[in-house]
Amino acid sequence: MAVARVDGLSFTYPGPARPALADVSLEFEAGEVVLVLGPSGSGKSTLLRALGGLVPHFHGGTFAGRVELGGADTRRHRPSELAGAIAYVFQDPEEQLVRERVDGEVAFGLENTGAPANAIRARTHAALDALGVAHLAGRRVHDLSGGELQRVCLAGALALEPTLLVLDEPTSQLDPDAAGELLDLATRQAHDHGLAVVLSEQRPANALEHADRVLFVDGGRVVCDARVEDAVAWLERHRPAYVATPEPPSGSPSPGDVVCSLRAASYAYRDVPAVDGFDLELRSGEIVALLGPNGSGKTTIAKLCAGLLEPQRGTVTRRGRATMLLQDAGRHSVRDRAEDEVALAIRGDRRRARAALESVGLGSAVERHPHDLSSGERERLALAAVLAPEPDLLVLDEPTKGADPERKQALAAFLRAQAHERATLVVTHDLGFAHAVADRRIELGAAAELVHA
Amino acid sequence: MSPGPALALLGAVVAAALLATHTASLAVIVVVLTVVAVRAARHAWVYVAGIAFSAATIFVITPFVETLGSHPIWTGPIVPVVGELDVTREELWSGAHGALRFAAVGLAFAVYALVLDHDRLLEGTRFARRFVLTVVLATRLAPTLDRDARALAEAMRARGIEVRGVRTRTRLLSPLLAGSLERALNLAEAMEARGYGRGATTRLPRASWSNADRAAVAFAAAVVALGVLWL
Repeated sequence: MAVARVDGLSFTYPGPARPALADVSLEFEAGEVVLVLGPSGSGKSTLLRALGGLVPHFHGGTFAGRVELGGADTRRHRPSELAGAIAYVFQDPEEQLVRERVDGEVAFGLENTGAPANAIRARTHAALDALGVAHLAGRRVHDLSGGELQRVCLAGALALEPTLLVLDEPTSQLDPDAAGELLDLATRQAHDHGLAVVLSEQRPANALEHADRVLFVDGGRVVCDARVEDAVAWLERHRPAYVATPEPPSGSPSPGDVVCSLRAASYAYRDVPAVDGFDLELRSGEIVALLGPNGSGKTTIAKLCAGLLEPQRGTVTRRGRATMLLQDAGRHSVRDRAEDEVALAIRGDRRRARAALESVGLGSAVERHPHDLSSGERERLALAAVLAPEPDLLVLDEPTKGADPERKQALAAFLRAQAHERATLVVTHDLGFAHAVADRRIELGAAAELVHA
Repeated sequence: MSPGPALALLGAVVAAALLATHTASLAVIVVVLTVVAVRAARHAWVYVAGIAFSAATIFVITPFVETLGSHPIWTGPIVPVVGELDVTREELWSGAHGALRFAAVGLAFAVYALVLDHDRLLEGTRFARRFVLTVVLATRLAPTLDRDARALAEAMRARGIEVRGVRTRTRLLSPLLAGSLERALNLAEAMEARGYGRGATTRLPRASWSNADRAAVAFAAAVVALGVLWL
């Protein structure tokens, strides 16, 4: 039985002339897990938002066609009226938190949708229990890890007992183990309770194992809609980056002089140790990937290398200049023109700024406002801004977050081509990307001890 | 203590501060609230520093905009439109009084933001729930902006740009505002997707008040009376 039906849907956001979705027709059946793949900006999120009426009600724009959720036409019902039948978990858990405590956060949707008052507490605890986080019930949401937060958000969605669960890149901030566990939990709920799950992902390998059916969206159109086995065959033929096993770099140059070295470096946040007695050496010409679960101290090590933090014990020595691309760097632009943004760190040298923009494929965007660029372009602008000062050490913290597999491939190739110019440290959850880009991989355990080098 | 009675207590302290006529009484209220705020959270100094700066500004400006008293301490030049600049002992007391009153109100807000459990406050609200939720979300704005500003400054340093001086810091205001708006839109979308604004809502049953809660409300009434009669 179809829980949702999309018929001839076309949608254009206010402003751009190009439609975000063009003539999309689909049905979603109870109990199936549908994986939505596609490049950044292809229309995946728009499709997901159209299922619950957020498009067009919340975002505005030109809407044609029809979307029905449980027989209700989304043009005639606001998203708040459809909530309960459909439940969402968005990419960034921190940006969807309303309440301060876990139980209140899970109960928020139940209260809004008018669940019987005496059932709210029981349903809240049942949802937390089903996701293995009942022990977090009274905790403050801001004290939780990324993985715990995303489970709490999923519990909030499942507590509504929806017929359609929509997960928009829910694992983008999670390490592979936490991501796998979250997908396990979501798909088990689908199969046990007969709800349809629609999931978009940029790390397809794990998600493909959980999906029954795959949609590939490109340029606002669904260009592949098939059972998972057939979809994998289609991807191999048409979009191999989505299913390819990354090749390790070949012909790596022999590493040069030591650019940065950490000796027994330790750092603690408010007496909670993040890094304890860590040793690391980075040499010119090599790319090193730092891997490990959430909370293992990867970002702290990266900041110690880049000079953003100084060790509380131990030593860090650096030769030359270091720059670092922080997470969500696309949000950190401060100037009105892309060229000025890049030139800021090089004393207004426009020639070098243009060269840096050219190198990341933004040569035609010099005059554009950073906030007018797409999310992918903003990330590339941020990369140009840290490359422009021609650093001897480049540190990248989760540079593939939210990037589609083709963009990851292109970024790996770009970093490989420039590897000889500097030492590069990449912090990532993405094992495939680490495999493709790094000469050396360092895996951290839960408490920042070195597991494998 | 439940957040409702705690809020009533804070409101009573604010009322007492506004009603108090003795500067020494205000000073005591300010000291007590400062101790409570500083002991509540490590980042309380952000609030305390901001309030202290604003209060100091009030203290400095008041003697120049008020004409009060007959015990001049300093007499300055005559400025067109403004008149003769002078500072009297009475104007200094008035400035101190205004500054302490402002500090008391600001610190009461800091204690509300840092100490109270806003979730429990929302749960305990019987009416104007949307208004209370808006206030609770707005309360989060200060620490969120502080976090965003630090992240932005760190991103600048990560590119080798030192964040020093008024000009560089001013450049951060526009992206901070843009970031706040983006965050607000994302939150609004997530709330609507979770049924907010639909009407006919229910809510978790409210926990009943303890004896300490009842005592706090009675004490709050007493504090207001104290402010009217003696402070």
